[in-house]
Amino acid sequence: MSEAVASCPRSGYAPARGLVEVAALVGALAALWFAPDFAGDYWLQLGFRTCVYLALAQGWNLMAGSAGLVSLGTSCFVGLGAYVAFGLLNHLGTPLPLVLLICAITGGALAALVSPALFRLRGLYFTVGTLALAELLRLLMVNVSAFGGATGIFLQEDPPALPVLFRYALVVAFVASLAITLCARTRASVIFRAVRDDEDAAAQMGVRPYRVKLGAFVLASALAAMAGGIQAVKLGVIEPYGMFGLQWSIDVLSMVIIGGVGLRLGPLVGALLVVALGEALADYPEAHIAIAGVILIVLIRFAPHGVVGLAAKLPLTRRVPA
Amino acid sequence: MPDIGVISSTIVAGVLLGGILALTALGLSIVLGVMRLVNLAHGDFLVVGAYAGLFFLQFTGIDPLLGVPVVAVFVGVLALPVYRLLLAPLADRGAEARMMTMFAVSIILENAFVLAFSADTRSIARDYATVALSLGPVTFPLIYLIGFVISVSLILTVHWLVSATAFGRDLRASAVDAEAAATLGVDVKRVQMLTFSLGAACAGVGGTLIGAAFQFGPSSGGAYLLNSLAVVVLGGLGSVIGTLAGGIALGALQSIGGLTLGDGYRDLVGMALFLLVLAFRPDGFLARGRT
Repeated sequence: MSEAVASCPRSGYAPARGLVEVAALVGALAALWFAPDFAGDYWLQLGFRTCVYLALAQGWNLMAGSAGLVSLGTSCFVGLGAYVAFGLLNHLGTPLPLVLLICAITGGALAALVSPALFRLRGLYFTVGTLALAELLRLLMVNVSAFGGATGIFLQEDPPALPVLFRYALVVAFVASLAITLCARTRASVIFRAVRDDEDAAAQMGVRPYRVKLGAFVLASALAAMAGGIQAVKLGVIEPYGMFGLQWSIDVLSMVIIGGVGLRLGPLVGALLVVALGEALADYPEAHIAIAGVILIVLIRFAPHGVVGLAAKLPLTRRVPA
Repeated sequence: MPDIGVISSTIVAGVLLGGILALTALGLSIVLGVMRLVNLAHGDFLVVGAYAGLFFLQFTGIDPLLGVPVVAVFVGVLALPVYRLLLAPLADRGAEARMMTMFAVSIILENAFVLAFSADTRSIARDYATVALSLGPVTFPLIYLIGFVISVSLILTVHWLVSATAFGRDLRASAVDAEAAATLGVDVKRVQMLTFSLGAACAGVGGTLIGAAFQFGPSSGGAYLLNSLAVVVLGGLGSVIGTLAGGIALGALQSIGGLTLGDGYRDLVGMALFLLVLAFRPDGFLARGRT
């Protein structure tokens, strides 16, 4: 997938390029669909994690890179998706594809519901608000016994086998990438960037910044809830501290910053690097987060456009505008 | 319905605790006001203060409440290199870069606490921490009163510093318009560095008080940060006296929420208030300036 997308030079509004990218995504989906026939469990585990991360990072990148919304509330929607998925599976026996769809709808609906509060204030206060929202939902789950309280909920049926789960995660990542491609390869991308660069000027040109930001937030939240749903099914048991944990928000933010904020390939490269880093440091779990922190500081300071941005500066590759 | 003694005790305890909450939020508030930086490592600065108080007691045997000035200087000085090495180089790079850098500092600190001090919850154990005071029907822990007095004194000192000294004048000028202040000869970088350090020093003292009144652990920083943010939102950005009012309001409301809904809901009430204020103050708490 990465190779196919990398070969597309990028510019703003280019429908023809968009078709190429969609074709590349479909090709990648088709190729990876058969991965379980060749790959062992270890690689499928890694693939599953990469797919979940990619779905989260695509949405976060759309918000931060295209609409200027830096969220620390990813865990809020991951957790919501997890609880919705378990509720549907345990009480109604809903089939899994439908469950994931409902997760996405719920995530988007919550985002739309809270957006009046979060968008009143610009910039940094959105960040602070999303952080508080995640904490609020977590405290709610801890305290309300109907949601399982602090001990959490078990999935009553057996989760599907790993190859099946991998394919679900693959489809989730595909849907996320496709949605973002559609946003980036249509007129929407121009509007997004106008709002990010100067909200007031964009408003004067007839763009409605509120709607644009809302669209990005709702889409990213729907993707995060869907990723949370499939992650929960794989875990088989969920509890508020894990599913609403700040770790999700940290991971997503790290991935996009490491990959390159606002760059199309940023989430993919970031997700691959974060998963690889996690594996490389698996023997030192204590230092894992601190090392991620140091990498973040260094990248923010010296490579504002992440690894992809650095690569684009090499003489052999073409320019990658933000 | 609980009797009047329980209700009044709860409210008094909430107000006293609110004074301490205000001090824990003060650093966040002034840094936000002067530097336009949401210091996401603020909660971890509080934890640094709590550990500093704890080890000060263990190594010197001196009561941490007497050693509070030492803790303040210690944490304040620790913050200087953080500003010089990490924040100052990003001065011209938008607010997000600095905020995310502090976020990285936060996760590094949290990880470092676990490595250095283990994941155990601790508290600064003093005899007076468990003593209860009674005034008529009202009963509250002595440590709350001590913490309240120290917090309010320190907040008033900072208020004096900001409103009546030359440094305070520079600070207020930098907060309103950093560029104009620089044109008029204010060394904005120096003001920002000192503000950051002052904020950290206040966090150090606040952390010691919280550590004496409650248990804390290496990952307490996240909860502290959220509480502090709620105080800042309630009290109004960058206003020292507003932070005191916000802290007391949050402390009282959390206590009432805990009493009526159950103890687990204390923090939930804080977060709900936080989001409600965000939603219903259209100009937000940054009404004077724009981000």
